[in-house]
Amino acid sequence: MTDVQSLDRNRLKELFDLRSSYNVAMGGDFQTDPYPVWERLRKQAPVHEGTVHKLTGYPGEAFFQGLPFPDRPHFSAFSFAACDAAFRDEETFASSPTAVDPTGQAAGVESSLISMNGAQHRRYRALVQPSFLPAKSGWWISSWIEETVHLLIDSFVADGRAELNVDFCAAIPILTITGSLGIPVEQALIIREWLSQPAKIVGMLAPIVAARRESPRDDLISVLVQAELPDEDGTTHRLSDVEIYSFAILLLLAGSGTTWKQMGIILTALLQRPEILKAVRADRRLLRATIEEAIRWTPTDPMFSRFVTADIEFFGAHIPKGSVLHLCVAAANRDPERWERPDEFDIHRPLKRSLGFGGGMHICLGMHVARAEMTVGIGALLDRLPNLRLDPDAASPRIIGMYERGATEIPVLFG
Amino acid sequence: MPGAGTATVTIDQSRCVGSGMCVVYAPATFDHDETAKVVVIDPHGDPLEVVESAVDACPTGALSIATADSPTPQKDEA
Repeated sequence: MTDVQSLDRNRLKELFDLRSSYNVAMGGDFQTDPYPVWERLRKQAPVHEGTVHKLTGYPGEAFFQGLPFPDRPHFSAFSFAACDAAFRDEETFASSPTAVDPTGQAAGVESSLISMNGAQHRRYRALVQPSFLPAKSGWWISSWIEETVHLLIDSFVADGRAELNVDFCAAIPILTITGSLGIPVEQALIIREWLSQPAKIVGMLAPIVAARRESPRDDLISVLVQAELPDEDGTTHRLSDVEIYSFAILLLLAGSGTTWKQMGIILTALLQRPEILKAVRADRRLLRATIEEAIRWTPTDPMFSRFVTADIEFFGAHIPKGSVLHLCVAAANRDPERWERPDEFDIHRPLKRSLGFGGGMHICLGMHVARAEMTVGIGALLDRLPNLRLDPDAASPRIIGMYERGATEIPVLFG
Repeated sequence: MPGAGTATVTIDQSRCVGSGMCVVYAPATFDHDETAKVVVIDPHGDPLEVVESAVDACPTGALSIATADSPTPQKDEA
């Protein structure tokens, strides 16, 4: 993959600006710091009636998984205990309002793993989990991540300056995922544009899937065409083309935007705290705790949602069957019941699970790939860009967004 | 706190989905087999408090730990 230069920087900027039309539907233009409101809400009660964006004071409509569903009652949880309990009870708090038929004709996220429940979810997840284990990180790094990271740095290393949010953070995950699916670099950006039109992505994937069925390679599509799914009756079947398309679309949707924004949040936190940046540069082992702390402190996806399958008394709220329960994991991650000085970005905290990658059976499948991208990416910046610092003449990065949070711009100088 | 030598880690492969959270926290204790089910590679690989973090981190309650102070295996109680 030597053609990373073929990425159109302006197009990239448009697609990966939270305030652009592609991202504004998720509330990407929200500029207020929501954490003080969430703290107040959590102090009042662990569970409130209403959606997270309305309770936060977002002026318009914002969309995410679990929204809008105007005919259903909506509740939102803000404490760690309430969010964790809901994640761990998938019978009461289901991932989709109706059962999923993955073998139907329509490929899309609604037919994928993320929408499945119970035994069906377990069977499909088991099929792909081996490719996403921590032990597989080396495969992802050597196959796609490392080369991408260094080619991107090559493209700006001589300039003495860069805008890391788009020129670096945004490009790494999309090129990693498309690379693992066998999609060439020059088509990677079109995929991002097409995320809301699955039929177009299917058109691009179809010849790749057909080719891998003929002759498998060392990539993810090849794993999927060869995988055997144990059915409920004990027999096994190979995944259909539609099942593979749905999974690939899920990966593109869940994997291309989240790691971009989370990496930008981590870099923002470090660059705005030069003493921590210096410590991490001096002792690279601190990078692991830095990444985990940033995912706790400001997760890029502040909310996941569940569909309530039975009337339930839940942390002081009566939630009727059919409701949507929004789990504000960003608020849960700063619950003082679990963390001391929760608003502080402190990389020396004892390592402890947060809900930044979600929780329960549906905890993020790609989280170890995301960790690998962020570790290799930030590590390479520290290796290759001496004296990396924010550009004092440019606006300092701000973290914005309602349901997809990330940095505005990260203008840096080095050398 | 007792050392890791006095604690026993128990795994329940039927609950494990292979999320890998345990390996994030206690990489010298846990790993996965080829079907992505958790295995203990070294029961004394990490300090006790690190193993406790891993037990708490398991999203499916597949791990439990019994120490000399609490002979009954405790499911994660986060």
